[in-house]
Amino acid sequence: MTSIIETNMLTKIYGSHTVVNKINLSVPEGSIYGFIGPNGAGKSTTMKLLLGLLHPSAGSVRLLDKDLTQENRLSLLRQTGSFIESPSCYGHLTAQENLQIICDLKDVPYSDIDRVLDIVRLEHARKQKVSQFSLGMRQRLGIAQALLGSPKLLILDEPTNGLDPAGIQEMRSLIREMPQLCGATVFISSHLLSELEQIIDHVGIINDGKLLFQGELSALQRHSRGDYVLRVLQPNKACETLLTQGVTVRADGNELHIPPMREDTLAALVQELATHDAGIVGLTQQTKSLEDIFLSLTNQKEAS
Amino acid sequence: MLTRCMIAENRKLNGSVIWLAFFIIPLFPAIMGTYNYLQNLGILKNGWYDLWTQNTLFYASFFFAPLVGLYAAYLWRLEHLGHNWNTIMSAPVRPFYLFFAKFIVIIKMVLLTQLWVLVLFVLCGHFWAGLPGFPPADIILWLLRGVLGGTAIIVLELLLAMALRSFAAPILVGLLGGVIGMLFNAKGHGLLFPYSLMLLGMNSNRSENVLSNQLLPFLAACAVFSVVFFVLAHIFLTRRDVHT
Repeated sequence: MTSIIETNMLTKIYGSHTVVNKINLSVPEGSIYGFIGPNGAGKSTTMKLLLGLLHPSAGSVRLLDKDLTQENRLSLLRQTGSFIESPSCYGHLTAQENLQIICDLKDVPYSDIDRVLDIVRLEHARKQKVSQFSLGMRQRLGIAQALLGSPKLLILDEPTNGLDPAGIQEMRSLIREMPQLCGATVFISSHLLSELEQIIDHVGIINDGKLLFQGELSALQRHSRGDYVLRVLQPNKACETLLTQGVTVRADGNELHIPPMREDTLAALVQELATHDAGIVGLTQQTKSLEDIFLSLTNQKEAS
Repeated sequence: MLTRCMIAENRKLNGSVIWLAFFIIPLFPAIMGTYNYLQNLGILKNGWYDLWTQNTLFYASFFFAPLVGLYAAYLWRLEHLGHNWNTIMSAPVRPFYLFFAKFIVIIKMVLLTQLWVLVLFVLCGHFWAGLPGFPPADIILWLLRGVLGGTAIIVLELLLAMALRSFAAPILVGLLGGVIGMLFNAKGHGLLFPYSLMLLGMNSNRSENVLSNQLLPFLAACAVFSVVFFVLAHIFLTRRDVHT
């Protein structure tokens, strides 16, 4: 699988502050890649570097298998749609006129406007002035601008920012459909993992300018498997049995925490506990939320 | 690519408030100039020519450059507001063309402004000052030459509005530039100062043709100043990071 976005030691320094620190991104073709980090982590700066809006202090960017250089920039931008820092468009113009401006600049036929307005469900507002739009409508118009010309790569910076829960839900389903609908690779950022967890398949986690994790979402979720919690009536008997089986255990009253293990091993262990009269009344697996994983990744890096 | 930029830029003027300024601001120098003319009929005996000097004295010295500054400030304000810089700079067009398209749009607006100034001049002369017939055809030439003399101002004002991100600054610089430009002209060094060129082109405050044997140096000065400011704009747009 080829990478649509690839960066090599990408760095941006403002004065003495390193905002983006030696980042090596790799975004596979056809993926929805979630770029996650708290506010101020360097997400927007990275995205602007990808678009050539900022000049890197060091390192390089490769998009669609071509180096992002002054010569290649325009041909790469032609195949890229972007939404950076909630564009508010031109308020005194209608949605249609705003999209026509983008069509002019991108050399896309005006007929494409119908398609993108349909995708973001704004057909009814095409003749309305953008200054009268709600925030959600503006965000959707911004997405529509990015979709004009069916770009191969979509770079979306916090498109759910400032939306109400219904708006977030709508934006999510919109973005989830992008790869099938437009064949695009989507690079999308958010400061909330939970907002994107349902739609992304790849994830990169950035904090303080550094990329802490990058890979498939499932790999991140493997990090998220937490302890099993056994509720037993006879904790002492249970502990004994577990120790003889070589399982590390942490007792907390009637609740025993044992580390994650294969399910067949777990089943055998439960059977063993039952025959030793441990009095099992409950078995649950704790799952760390992505937020917890994120915190643990952050802490690990800071501790090291 | 440039044509596409120009179409896009021109579309931004649809239903824009800037047309209000376009209609209202040239009214002031026309009224002030004609009033001044009527107050000084004792020394102003040359009819349409003298009315022209009075009207353009005010228009070219005090109103043209700030008005261009207003046009430029407005066009760039559209991009400064609401992160639109990101949108235009990530479009697949040369950044310089975005700037040049704004220049062309202002040239268009300035041509229309000059036409509006001519209309006001004829109306004021005919109905208010009661001058007979129509103004001499020279005036149309001077109006067009004023646009030529205004090119350097247009490019400079666009550069200022783009770099300073302030709405008022280009207008104030225009006001100041016009006044200093008048002083440069009074000393006979008009060709050395960009804001003086418009006044020279318009034959402002002179009823005989001030550029009769200086047309080439005038054109050269217009070209040199414009090119220098264009180059600065190009450097600004390609070397600098985009800030929103």
